[in-house]
Amino acid sequence: MRVVTVGTGMAAAEFVERLRLEGFDGEIAMVGDEDFPPYSPCVIPFYLAGEPLETVFWKGRDFYERYRVTPLLGDPVTEVDRERRLVRTRDGRSERYDRLFLAPGARNRFPEPQWTTVAGVFGFKTLSDMMAIGEYVSREKCSEAVVYGGGFIGVDAALALMKLGLSVTIVHRNTRLLSQMTDEEGGAFATRKLVEKTGMVVRLRTRVEGITAGAGRLTGVNLTDGTRLETTLLIVAVGVDPNSELLDGLESGIPCDDGMLADPDIFTAGDVARTRHAVDGAPGIYANAPNAVAQAYVAARQLVRGEGSYAGSLNSTVLRKHIDFPVISMGRFDGEALTWQRGDVWRRVYLRDGRINGYIIIGDTRMSGYLHQLYVSRQLAEREIRDLLSSPRHDGYYRRALGLAPA
Amino acid sequence: MKRIFVDYKKCLACKACETACAVRHHPSGSLVGALGDRRTEIDVRVLGIEHESFPLACRHCDPADCLSACPSGALARDPETGAVVVNPDLCKACAMCASVCTFDAISFKETHRARHGREVAHKCDLCTERLKQGERPACVAACPSGALVFGELEQNRTQRAARSLRTYLLGEEGLPPLLEAYRELRRKEFAARRGEKG
Repeated sequence: MRVVTVGTGMAAAEFVERLRLEGFDGEIAMVGDEDFPPYSPCVIPFYLAGEPLETVFWKGRDFYERYRVTPLLGDPVTEVDRERRLVRTRDGRSERYDRLFLAPGARNRFPEPQWTTVAGVFGFKTLSDMMAIGEYVSREKCSEAVVYGGGFIGVDAALALMKLGLSVTIVHRNTRLLSQMTDEEGGAFATRKLVEKTGMVVRLRTRVEGITAGAGRLTGVNLTDGTRLETTLLIVAVGVDPNSELLDGLESGIPCDDGMLADPDIFTAGDVARTRHAVDGAPGIYANAPNAVAQAYVAARQLVRGEGSYAGSLNSTVLRKHIDFPVISMGRFDGEALTWQRGDVWRRVYLRDGRINGYIIIGDTRMSGYLHQLYVSRQLAEREIRDLLSSPRHDGYYRRALGLAPA
Repeated sequence: MKRIFVDYKKCLACKACETACAVRHHPSGSLVGALGDRRTEIDVRVLGIEHESFPLACRHCDPADCLSACPSGALARDPETGAVVVNPDLCKACAMCASVCTFDAISFKETHRARHGREVAHKCDLCTERLKQGERPACVAACPSGALVFGELEQNRTQRAARSLRTYLLGEEGLPPLLEAYRELRRKEFAARRGEKG
């Protein structure tokens, strides 16, 4: 049996590793548009910030040899032909498969396609992006940057560039940074603290309307509020689009069953897979590393043993990069809101029917694991939650275990 | 596989475990070196909860949520001991692990093992190196009251189930009289602090 993966990202690497660990002995080929061993997208900003390249290859540089994989790199898949069971690539190669693992990830979205032709404008998504940014910053001796988009990736980019010594302005259309992973108040708190702690400049409720270039290189950006910012470096992080159109032109992700099958011969996972939420069942693309890993495990088990089913995705987000100021969120931000704040720490839990419906923990990781467990296990939490949130010693779990009343 | 078990009713909150852990994980291997050093790593924490105390450390769960959450390859299971261990060279301190650890057993700090001039995750490593030399974990060896026990997982589960049945049926706590007296003193002290009559 010949297995082909479209993509060499986190999902594909976990899938292949799991296949071999499950005893799969057939042929495996991995097709990818970049020319690297599998790397961790969570780690690459640290490489840009000056840490060793080795560490991005979280499963080792020798991944392809170790798992007896034929790597077909630097040539993206452009078409999946289900009838003939083969994939075609940009350079005209075609690869036959018995089972396909379709995990081509997502691509950076640029408001204007022509921006990408200007030197100094980059996405912040791939290892190639990080290398290009790093090279550009040292060649052009950049001392400042504008990051357009203040979501997870935008803030991640800003923190990495600041670590590199640049001064950074984030331009974000929303009322607060991290607007998808926070509610209004939590996001405002996180924004204020991030500015205080790092000195980054944040311009909210505005967008980059246009860019200017001289001699093919970026010279500045114009904002919708009329401001002009002079800069030679612009990171665009306003969102990503799943590369799902490979399968029947689907634009908003690839639906699959609980065995991660999109078709009897095609598994899917990662940033293209449309799955249901483990707690509330809502379908969607839940793009984070733990979901991708869990999906890959299910697919591998299905392929080898024909068993196993996906328990659903969690929409958890954890941002803690370069500075000791974590922002953690999970679930849905509606229901009865209980809030606690002291110093740099802000916590809010949303309750619905006595159970946790969502939470945001800012400034401290402690207690987040216990909330995670209460949320996922759907335990009734309303009696203890208020005391738990305000517990200065973060000992909620141990109080419950020892049968002691909340403080 | 052997694990550290906590008999918290026997814990005297003396913090001998914390001290032993700090010494064990300090490059100097000595108390003098570990004292006052900001990079000293302590992977067990005696939690005071009212009159009770609980030495908190990684449970080395299997399966472990932290292990599946780690996106940088920094967490791995030691094949010989079954311990979940951190490789600080790969750790980015991204907190994915901590955000799913019910036991709050993962912390961040620039320890002596940190290579990149910043914080890394640190947690109990079950003293894997000591185990491979046939010794018990440092905290267990240092515990003077038997609150920390190193034993086989399955065997302990069975014994504990039988013992708690005996406690339930006969009302036996099974603690030595001196420990009972000590616990009673602590209960009274905490009740007094709360303004209740002992």
